[in-house]
Amino acid sequence: MEIWRLPISASQRGKLISSGYTSLSSLSSISSSDLARELKVSESEAMNILKVASHSRGSETSNASCSIVEGAQSAWDMLHDEESLMHITTSSADLDNILGGGIHCKEVTEIGWSSLSLIVNSVLKYKLTTAFSSESIIFMLIGGVPGIGKTQLGIQIAVNVQIPNDFGGLGGKAIYIDTEGSFMVERAFQIAEACIEDMSEYNRFLRKDFQECKIKMLPQDILENIFYFRICSYTEQIALINYLDKFLSEHKDVKVIVVDSVTFHFRQDFDDMALRTRVLSGMALKLMNLAKRFSLAVVLLNQVTTKHTEASFQLALALGDSWSHTCTNRIVLYWNGNERYAYIDKSPSLRSASAAYSVTARGIRNSSSSCKRIKMM
Amino acid sequence: MANKLISEIPLPKSIANVFSARNISTAKDALSLTEFELMELLDVGLTEVRSALSQISEIVAPPYQTALSLMEQRFQNEHLGGHFPTGLKGLDAALCGGIPFGVLTELVGPAGIGKTQFCLKLSLLASLPTNYGGLDGRVIYIDVESKFSSRRLLEIGLRSFPEIFQMKEMAQEMAGRILVLRPTSLAEFTQSLEQIKVLLLQNQVKMLVIDSMAALVSGEHEQGARRQQTLSWHISFIKSLAEFSRIPVVVTNQVRSRNHDDASRYSFQVQSRDGAIETPMQYDSHLVAALGIQWAHAVTTRLVLEAKSGERFIKVAKSPISPPLAFPFHITSSGISLLSDDGKEVMGPEINAIHCQGHNEIINFGMEGLH
Amino acid sequence: MARLANLETEYPVLDSTVRNFCASHGIFSVEDFLIHDLYMLAAFAEQNDSSERLKEGIAQVLSIIDDMHQPWLNGMELLEDAKRNKHVFPTGIQGIDLLLGDGIHVGQLTELVGPSSSGKTQVCLRTASNVARNHMVLYLDTGNSFSPQRIAYFLGKTISPSSAQAKNQFLQKVMSNISCHSVFDIFAMFDVLHQLESYLRCQDGRGGCQMRLLIVDSISSLISPVLGSSSTLGVINSKLMDTGRALMTSAGYLLKKLAHQHNLAVLIINHTVGGEGGSSKPALGDSWKCIPHSRLFLSCDRGSNTYNVSILRHPSMASGKAARFVI
Repeated sequence: MEIWRLPISASQRGKLISSGYTSLSSLSSISSSDLARELKVSESEAMNILKVASHSRGSETSNASCSIVEGAQSAWDMLHDEESLMHITTSSADLDNILGGGIHCKEVTEIGWSSLSLIVNSVLKYKLTTAFSSESIIFMLIGGVPGIGKTQLGIQIAVNVQIPNDFGGLGGKAIYIDTEGSFMVERAFQIAEACIEDMSEYNRFLRKDFQECKIKMLPQDILENIFYFRICSYTEQIALINYLDKFLSEHKDVKVIVVDSVTFHFRQDFDDMALRTRVLSGMALKLMNLAKRFSLAVVLLNQVTTKHTEASFQLALALGDSWSHTCTNRIVLYWNGNERYAYIDKSPSLRSASAAYSVTARGIRNSSSSCKRIKMM
Repeated sequence: MANKLISEIPLPKSIANVFSARNISTAKDALSLTEFELMELLDVGLTEVRSALSQISEIVAPPYQTALSLMEQRFQNEHLGGHFPTGLKGLDAALCGGIPFGVLTELVGPAGIGKTQFCLKLSLLASLPTNYGGLDGRVIYIDVESKFSSRRLLEIGLRSFPEIFQMKEMAQEMAGRILVLRPTSLAEFTQSLEQIKVLLLQNQVKMLVIDSMAALVSGEHEQGARRQQTLSWHISFIKSLAEFSRIPVVVTNQVRSRNHDDASRYSFQVQSRDGAIETPMQYDSHLVAALGIQWAHAVTTRLVLEAKSGERFIKVAKSPISPPLAFPFHITSSGISLLSDDGKEVMGPEINAIHCQGHNEIINFGMEGLH
Repeated sequence: MARLANLETEYPVLDSTVRNFCASHGIFSVEDFLIHDLYMLAAFAEQNDSSERLKEGIAQVLSIIDDMHQPWLNGMELLEDAKRNKHVFPTGIQGIDLLLGDGIHVGQLTELVGPSSSGKTQVCLRTASNVARNHMVLYLDTGNSFSPQRIAYFLGKTISPSSAQAKNQFLQKVMSNISCHSVFDIFAMFDVLHQLESYLRCQDGRGGCQMRLLIVDSISSLISPVLGSSSTLGVINSKLMDTGRALMTSAGYLLKKLAHQHNLAVLIINHTVGGEGGSSKPALGDSWKCIPHSRLFLSCDRGSNTYNVSILRHPSMASGKAARFVI
């Protein structure tokens, strides 16, 4: 019965069915007043039903043209759109490289992140075959997995999205959604300062003439363009993501949303796991929708937790299987020897690869170039 | 905001009535359901549900701040730009001024290394008047293992700030500012947290010290998932306390030994994709922090105190600001002090390792020094 | 099914007398007619004053019903249809094509099940790029995972090195055949599928490049939000579950109908969720299980970058057969 597919209320649907309207075509030629009389509903309600039905049926005339479905885009057009997309750099050329960036201009290298990226910390799929007591689980995770640099990368991205177009950046603004309270404004200031320094150096490199092209940007300006939301419960998180729709249509220059960390509140105060899964997947779909409609990047940071399976424990991303499907790209950060590594664990377009990076006083940088860390102060 | 009543939100009358008829009274109730569930439950169409949800969301969603206003506000309202100096110059420089306000700072290390000494010193400092580098306010010291010693506290005070502590009334006042709580169980601790919240709201308390968190949790014989759950409640509660009152919170964590098995099998390295296992770094110690990964995610700054080849080091193991540095320190009668203000940079995950070599001698020596 | 009231213009016999009589028996549409006992109805009609008219009306409706159902086909005709229209599209991935005979079947729903990053989307993209050489493809995307770059890469691998311009032309030709549409809830998917249906109806009369492949990546992220759980909502819940189920079945039915009537191959993706005891199971459960014609389980070998595929269900093949492939 086609009527089931209409997004109308259950009672309206019941009335339609009991008076014999079961197909969309049966609603095509009836006037709203007739329908209102027959269903014994108000005329405005009947009009509403007809509107929904005709929307669902689609305008038959437009189909004579070449596009299959209204709103669909051909892969060829999408390829061109994607190639013209601007990229946000991570400030580490190696990292940018595995993320599909191509253009190297000193430190300002770009990567495309038009889709949802899930950046997670650490030791994914680390399986222990022997049985563990739950006590020992708590210990094996010590050793740097927290503190690998998720928040740093988040802040770096929020700063780098603002690199102006002249420097190969997006010149956009950033939304930073902080669920854990780990955003450090002093750190953001440092990173912004370093970013501006890099830009002016790049400027000198590019124009070798004497004309001193001073960058007019100040770290304060960069901080000004980071919209910071502090979330204290999962309800607020859902509400905020609903509200972002409106916020973004008022702030069209926002080009990245960073959520640090997306799963924190969902791991507590939720008894019904099935409900949690549904709410989360609903939220993920909304974020996807935002990413698509406003063509912005959504970067989610996630933690690593331990997972209890029958006879073994394994480190896994927080929130488990169903959530792991929702992200388009997933990057895992882990230690390898003395270096921090990022690994592309899942991506529809990029090949699996890993790259070393480091966290310096100036932010995220290439591993090799960063050997000489500038000591602070 | 999450418990905002739907009746207080200016929704169209018809929809508001449906919400109340279905017993969906708070924003939390409404937002915990999916759009489809609401459609069925309220018996309205998708468009109505969407518009109602967006109205509710707009009110419930917290307001934004730009990072700039956040920074300006911090600098205006907060003494010392939101960092509390520990008096250890090198460490303060690395941490951009000291222990950050509003977030958790953790001290982790083997027994007797000086965690409590550090805590005593910090609480003393916080109670001092501002012109001596203090916060001029009360300190709440949650002492789980009954290690707090007021004699030692006064001794440190006398040695470090003789000009204050030689005056008897001043010394009394300073020491009086430090409130010590001794909860014996996790339940009691939970209760005292609630009380602390009230005190914090009255804005008199300038620092919170919990020594030690691990002793509290491991005192309870709960296992696995259950234990993680209670812990996660405490984590988020303490974090929110820190954040809303904007005070520094210092928490200590113990260590426990790691089995040989774990140590060799568990190197915190990801297994490389081609199947081969990276040669794990073999640590000479087998110590790990007593509270697990969830806790480790929650703390913003982690300082590891360790002993290595006869020397004690304090290491900045996790910090959003500082590079991984290690400072040698010792404990004297005037408390903890650094031997050198130049930190040595530590590469890789070594920063998180907790060593306890030749530590016993130091302790003995240290104890002698105290008496 | 048509309402009786709408039929009067075409069949004047069904005038208000007949309709009132029908309405008094709770019959409003042709569909209602089918579930009524015709003999009883005829008997009631006898007693009526205008029994002749009524009988005429009933006969008319019965003949409408006769016209409406799909024509009877015997085995020979079905075979003929299968030979003519129900082709098999190779996916372009050797392992899978060998396993499935030649590829995925037109007129059938093929479902890919697997954990996260097990190659499901890659198989879809590869198949799309392969089919798009000669036919049109529609890709419904719920996770922004459609990657034109990847398709260009797949296509670039298959053509022999020629001039850059020829290559570009080829890419443009093939990639213009693939349309992608983002859908983020199940009702949006129905809208798109209804539009597609009317497009396909026009297409069948036309020549030229025809749309032959529909991909839904992934169906489970659309359907799982509407499937309620058993504990949240108490009494209302059973009703809710019914509506969710009805939407799910309706989606399956619509996909199958499109596949069969318009000779489409339909490829859908289903996720896995953690089941009891740590094992994973397909996200859409038992009531969805019987909807797709064939079901393939994908998994990824972390070490070697090869993927495993095994048949969970197939109309013409033993289940349990497995193969490996590389992308």
